[in-house]
Amino acid sequence: MRRGALLAANLLGAAAFLWPFLVPAPGAEPHAREAPFLTAAILGCLLLVVLGELGRAGLGPKTVALLGVLGAAMVALRLPGFVAGFSAMFLPVLVAGNAFGPAFGFTLGAVGTFASGLFVGGLGPWLPFQMVAVGWVGAGAGLLPRGRGRILLLAAYGALAGYAFGAVMNLWFWPFATGGGPTAWSPGAGAWGNLLRYVRFYALTSFAWDTFRAVGNAALVLALGRPALAALDRAARRMHLEVAPRAAGP
Amino acid sequence: MHQVALLSWAMAAGLAAALTTNPFYLAPLGAAALAVGSSLARDRGPLRSFALAAALAVALRTALALLGPVSRGSLAAAALEGARLAVVLLVVGAFNAASDPGALLRLAPGRWHELALAVSLALSIAPRTAEAAARVREAQRLRGLPTSGWRALPALAVPVLETGMEEAVTLAESMDARGHGSGPRTRYRPEPWGPRDALVALACAAGGAGFLAAELLGAGGIDAAGAGHVSLALLGALGLLTSPLWPWPRR
Amino acid sequence: MAEALSFAGVGFSYPGAEDPALRGATFSLPEGAFALVAGPTGAGKSTLLRCCNGLVPHFTGGRFEGRVRIGGRDTLEHRPRTLATTVGFVPQDPGASFVLDRVEDELAYAMENLGVPRGAMRRRVEEVLDLMRIEPLRDRSVRQLSGGERQRVAIAAALTAGPRVLVLDEPTSQLDPQGAEDVLAALARLVHELGTTVLMAEHRLERVVGTVDLAVGCKAGEPPRLGPPAEILAWLGAGPPVARLGRILGWRPVPLTVREARRAAGSLGRLPGPPPRPAAGLPAPGEPLLRAQGLHADHGRGSVLRGVDLELRRGEVVALMGRNGAGKTTLLRCLVGLHRPAAGRVAAASGRAPEPGRDAALCPQVPEHLLYRSRVVEEVAVTLRARGRDGAEAQALLEELGIGPLAPRHPREVSAGQRLLVAVAAVVATGAPVLLLDEPTRGLDPEVKGRLSELLRRFAARGGAVIVATHDVELAAALATRVVLLAGGEVIADGPPAEVLADSPVFSPEMTRVFGPGWLTPEQVARALGA
Repeated sequence: MRRGALLAANLLGAAAFLWPFLVPAPGAEPHAREAPFLTAAILGCLLLVVLGELGRAGLGPKTVALLGVLGAAMVALRLPGFVAGFSAMFLPVLVAGNAFGPAFGFTLGAVGTFASGLFVGGLGPWLPFQMVAVGWVGAGAGLLPRGRGRILLLAAYGALAGYAFGAVMNLWFWPFATGGGPTAWSPGAGAWGNLLRYVRFYALTSFAWDTFRAVGNAALVLALGRPALAALDRAARRMHLEVAPRAAGP
Repeated sequence: MHQVALLSWAMAAGLAAALTTNPFYLAPLGAAALAVGSSLARDRGPLRSFALAAALAVALRTALALLGPVSRGSLAAAALEGARLAVVLLVVGAFNAASDPGALLRLAPGRWHELALAVSLALSIAPRTAEAAARVREAQRLRGLPTSGWRALPALAVPVLETGMEEAVTLAESMDARGHGSGPRTRYRPEPWGPRDALVALACAAGGAGFLAAELLGAGGIDAAGAGHVSLALLGALGLLTSPLWPWPRR
Repeated sequence: MAEALSFAGVGFSYPGAEDPALRGATFSLPEGAFALVAGPTGAGKSTLLRCCNGLVPHFTGGRFEGRVRIGGRDTLEHRPRTLATTVGFVPQDPGASFVLDRVEDELAYAMENLGVPRGAMRRRVEEVLDLMRIEPLRDRSVRQLSGGERQRVAIAAALTAGPRVLVLDEPTSQLDPQGAEDVLAALARLVHELGTTVLMAEHRLERVVGTVDLAVGCKAGEPPRLGPPAEILAWLGAGPPVARLGRILGWRPVPLTVREARRAAGSLGRLPGPPPRPAAGLPAPGEPLLRAQGLHADHGRGSVLRGVDLELRRGEVVALMGRNGAGKTTLLRCLVGLHRPAAGRVAAASGRAPEPGRDAALCPQVPEHLLYRSRVVEEVAVTLRARGRDGAEAQALLEELGIGPLAPRHPREVSAGQRLLVAVAAVVATGAPVLLLDEPTRGLDPEVKGRLSELLRRFAARGGAVIVATHDVELAAALATRVVLLAGGEVIADGPPAEVLADSPVFSPEMTRVFGPGWLTPEQVARALGA
């Protein structure tokens, strides 16, 4: 894998999410209305590049089958019978990312989000954001050290990821959310100023919801993490899957 | 219509809608989206849902403006902001109604093919997963185990996961034994790309480019301040965005 | 004649396993052979099959020695995907192996992978659709097919790559008699019309032993042996009921099919007296533990049960039989209290509607749905505790059911048949007086079948009642005190196996077909002859 290209792509993606803090120029306001489309396009390209890079050598039947089955779990969790489906969708990503590595975690995050988006609402410009964000959650889970306290660490990470995901997704529409005031985006306020404004905005809007999600993630990992990881590790053994931190398997 | 042509329409029309708050452009664009959606629809459902969402968007955005300083101007501006979002939603709805996800996934070229396959596998395995979950729940209930609450989770989730893993092995073996990853693939079901698709794609690209140019140049009455000012060029671009509706001689 | 497949000194151990799964396998199959792989579970049948197309060792890893040549190619030098044009592989659970939605697309998948030009793909798909007699199914979704149809589609999907050898892992184990017959007929067509070499693992020997011309026997710890079916089955000590009878009575050659048995039995003349009742050891049926009256039930698209009356009495072991789709599963679910009938009622011994898990306990069709702990003994303990009993009794219960040695093992790492026994134990631990089993067919080799039968009879003897939905006629003949036949949602027969199984041509056991009504098991016949 061309690490440099991947890193660059991910940095660009980060910029696409964080642009409200990075665009200080007063003249930016009128062009702000293109931002969602522009950032969606950037993230879409990011996905194509990163996923294309991961798939370049061929994923192989084992990885594809695992993505299919675990992705199906993510889709099934969006069905009406399951509560808080979108939140529960993180669990397969967290566990599988931790079991199979960051490349698999990212891929599963992206693939599963796309599939469940198709299933629930349809394709739309919000999908690249969701796919990248969930993908990052999975990749992060794969980078966690595995040793003692693996489950606890994963649970803590899951909680953190719940907040981070919410915070980052809100950034998408924050600049257009309100007309003015201390919680709104102000292009002239500079990076730090905008960050403070965003913290206020976030606290008022989705903090509560994201707390619910963060706690939910942690609780799910604590409740199911050990047997789920055992099952995935066993599958990896049965399939003779090379589980290296940077490989996607044979 | 070929999925790529449809996608190019959706992206161009969506871009155009996102760029303008001039109601004289937004209204026909919204109408065009609805028309494309209904005439090309394989399933009207998404069109209706997104139309509803569009209506809600306008209503909510206007209501939001009532919270701040109210004036005719500010309300109108808010309504137009809402209308802009609404038209984007209509375009998305039309795309979802008209597109064939299976065909879209099948079109994935080369290195993305396996990922598209994974997506389609996820969609087709999901019903089995849900059914297995229901069966597991019943089976554990019959054993006397609790079937709700946190303590029930391992008994409910682990069998589904383990069974899924075993099925993944069977699936992987079957794919391997049938030549998966052998090299360049051919396509059993061709997705023909015809002159009509080329026309639509080109027209939409031009239409979208027109709106983008207008936005970058600040011309053509693209924003609300220019309401009442409508440029022929942009109207032409808008016309290009109705290309999926143009009649095409049937062979 | 040319060799289709040859094994030379093949040995294999799975990664991390202490004992080899396969050892010293040396044999070769001629082209056009129709061969059976037989033996108890755990003896290496699956491993042997997977050696044929390179899944062992390329997919599984592990230590491999020796050499397998198939279609002239060495499996060590070719990965499974390259061997797709030489050998087709059909797994045991075809439903889990499908990649695409439409049957036609699934058939084309292998050829798309191999880069076959479109014209050739279209032609080949048509050929294979006709060959497997699945042309009417071409536009259907693979998820909507019956078991037999799914199996034939899976075979077709492997055939489109054009292999000369076909390897199948228990193709009929989960099929009802009709589905099994369709699949075996299709395989026989392949062998006779196309000259395909077919190698399949199978437990239900009575179905296949008459059609195959060679057998490979697998015994744990010994090298597999190739030979004529009669010889290999004798070596394994396995075989259909007529073969068991032949061995008891010392017939030479040992008959494998009903026809051969009739010829051999011709010399015996009529069997003495009316057939004795099979050794019961069971008390006469006691009071009813479950009663269904006028049961109507809907499921999905339509009404599945149309006025069923059924009574389950203490001490009975009932076999519930019928074609797939006749309503067996729905009936069981109504009896246990999971499914509310549209009309009619079900009453437990208390007179009220049955409480699932207390009045009756059901072992599901997929026993794995119950298993989530890391040790077998814990599966049983969990149920005991949920029912307010002491978890420490789990070990004793396992011993009583004859599977004590499995206690410390991981439930997912024992064989399929053993998993069934574990699931039954976990369900018996509820203490419910009625035990229901839904089609326990997976991995049911003769040994597990025997254990299961013994377990169920003991359960009934101690005052419980058992009802088993099955289409395994021989199991019903050996085990049941009563047989209920379900067709089109109605009970069309209900009585002792000697009567019910005698009448039905589809469901009559081999002994009945050879010796007439009332004769159910080889042991019964042997006893009558004083052997």
